[in-house]
Amino acid sequence: MTSWPLSRTRIRTAVLILALFAAGALAWRLHIIHIEDALVRADPDQAVTDPTLLSFAAGRAPALYRRHCAVCHGSDMRGSHTLGAPDLSDANWLFGLGELPDIENTLDYGIRSGHPKSHNITDMPGLGRIGQLSAPEIRDVVEYVYAFSHADANPDAVRRGRPLFMDKGSCYDCHGQDGTGNVDYGAPDLTGRSGWMYGGDRSTLFRSVYDGRHGLCPAWINRLNAAQIRELAVFLYTTARRAPHAASGSGGAS
Amino acid sequence: MSVLSPDRSALGTVMDFTRVNTRRSLVLLAIGAITGIAIAGYGLFTAKGTRVHGVPPEAIALVNQRPILRSDFVTQVQTQYSVRYAETTPAQRRKVLDDMIDEEMMVQRGLEVDLPSFDPDVRVALVAGVELQLFADVLAQKPTDAELQSYYDAHRGNYIRDGEMQLRDLVATISPQRPLAISQRDAAAAVAALRQGVALDSVLTQFNLTDSRRLMDSGHVDLGDVFDFAARARLDPAVFAAARQLSTGQSSEPVLAADGVHVVVMVKRIPPVQRNFAEVSNEVWRDVTEEAKRRVRENNLKYVRSKADIQVAAP
Repeated sequence: MTSWPLSRTRIRTAVLILALFAAGALAWRLHIIHIEDALVRADPDQAVTDPTLLSFAAGRAPALYRRHCAVCHGSDMRGSHTLGAPDLSDANWLFGLGELPDIENTLDYGIRSGHPKSHNITDMPGLGRIGQLSAPEIRDVVEYVYAFSHADANPDAVRRGRPLFMDKGSCYDCHGQDGTGNVDYGAPDLTGRSGWMYGGDRSTLFRSVYDGRHGLCPAWINRLNAAQIRELAVFLYTTARRAPHAASGSGGAS
Repeated sequence: MSVLSPDRSALGTVMDFTRVNTRRSLVLLAIGAITGIAIAGYGLFTAKGTRVHGVPPEAIALVNQRPILRSDFVTQVQTQYSVRYAETTPAQRRKVLDDMIDEEMMVQRGLEVDLPSFDPDVRVALVAGVELQLFADVLAQKPTDAELQSYYDAHRGNYIRDGEMQLRDLVATISPQRPLAISQRDAAAAVAALRQGVALDSVLTQFNLTDSRRLMDSGHVDLGDVFDFAARARLDPAVFAAARQLSTGQSSEPVLAADGVHVVVMVKRIPPVQRNFAEVSNEVWRDVTEEAKRRVRENNLKYVRSKADIQVAAP
């Protein structure tokens, strides 16, 4: 005698289906863990060349990016002049050479994040605020920098600005004599070829030199797990490699 | 068969789980207890007893269960040899890893012997490290000009260029032979004489006053001209308060202090100057930052103290 709905056959079928689902979910989870482990354990070069790992990272990283990075760097990865958040869609890097370990290191420990291992060797000093350069001198230095990327710079101010850039302002110390920056210090390229973090107009450049800049990126090491950080690193690496070598957009000098 | 049957019978009784067997229960209990104690002891008294088998994927090594991160290792290899990780040899990697393991061992040894509890350098480094983390947000902030101006307006007294004074501090001492009333009378007479243009040395002699020489104790040939802060430190507070009101050539009214009645003669006075905002904006910026750091530090200490168990004996 069968009594609906709890016939013995139906119960057995339901239990079987549930067991199959559970087994499937477990197998899927184990598969994910297995690939995560492989991704994290892989040498940097392998992580960005192995199709399985690349595909895995590409599938998961965009959601991580939207959740954790897009608020500063933008959903289009082009950065923000207001926040001084660099463009992550180009092939220019503020710290390091853009190799996977460089990107991963920045993600792990951040930039001036307070973590002792973060990039924090230097800071753009407020040369006006500390009295190292006067306002007219800053205007001359700005004109000198402006001339790297603009033909309409005032030649007299550029002539006055050069010794300030090279000597009194000590700008060359970090940005180099040719203004191309230094990835060891995180000193941005001032020639405009890599775009601008805060903007390359005279007024913004003046504020950068007068007030200084103190860009920040949080340390993600205790907020994301190792697999998530590597997924993001692989995603940023591959995005940059696909981009044209020089930026034409807003951010640059990432 | 007949020989084996008693043993079989005993074994059969023990293995017959349908029957209650007190001896079997006690034996199983004892085996369980001994096994448990052995495992616990092994875990308790050997580091290897508590180890997790296998290195987690994010680590390149585990040193007493503390991971050395793979990403740190790769960065260290690249930094040490200035080449891409892929271009380093297994020997180079092994050397870096050994160095990192050695370093971790030394750190763990330092913690084991409780280095922070007695080594002042370690304590200083720890405090500095914690503060650096606390101040990260403060250092990131760039106050606006309006904020700086507002701070300057609220703390104008902090931005004064100190004045300088060169003075003579005359004292009519108080003693049983020269009570207060006499000292006050002499001091008042001395003030009147000074204001009439009598020479200071004559006044000293005439009214039996002495020069305290409080501003002339450097041991060098010294005119006694000092900054206001130094005068404040050396003079009696009431005497300094009277002195700072004087201009060059003026004499104060008699001032009662602990050691007698004073008369201040201001030989030379450069008054303090209020420095304007443009001149001190960098100092204001520094002060704003320092105050923010102090607030963060205080709040953090308040929080950690609220969580801490601090017992203080009566000092």
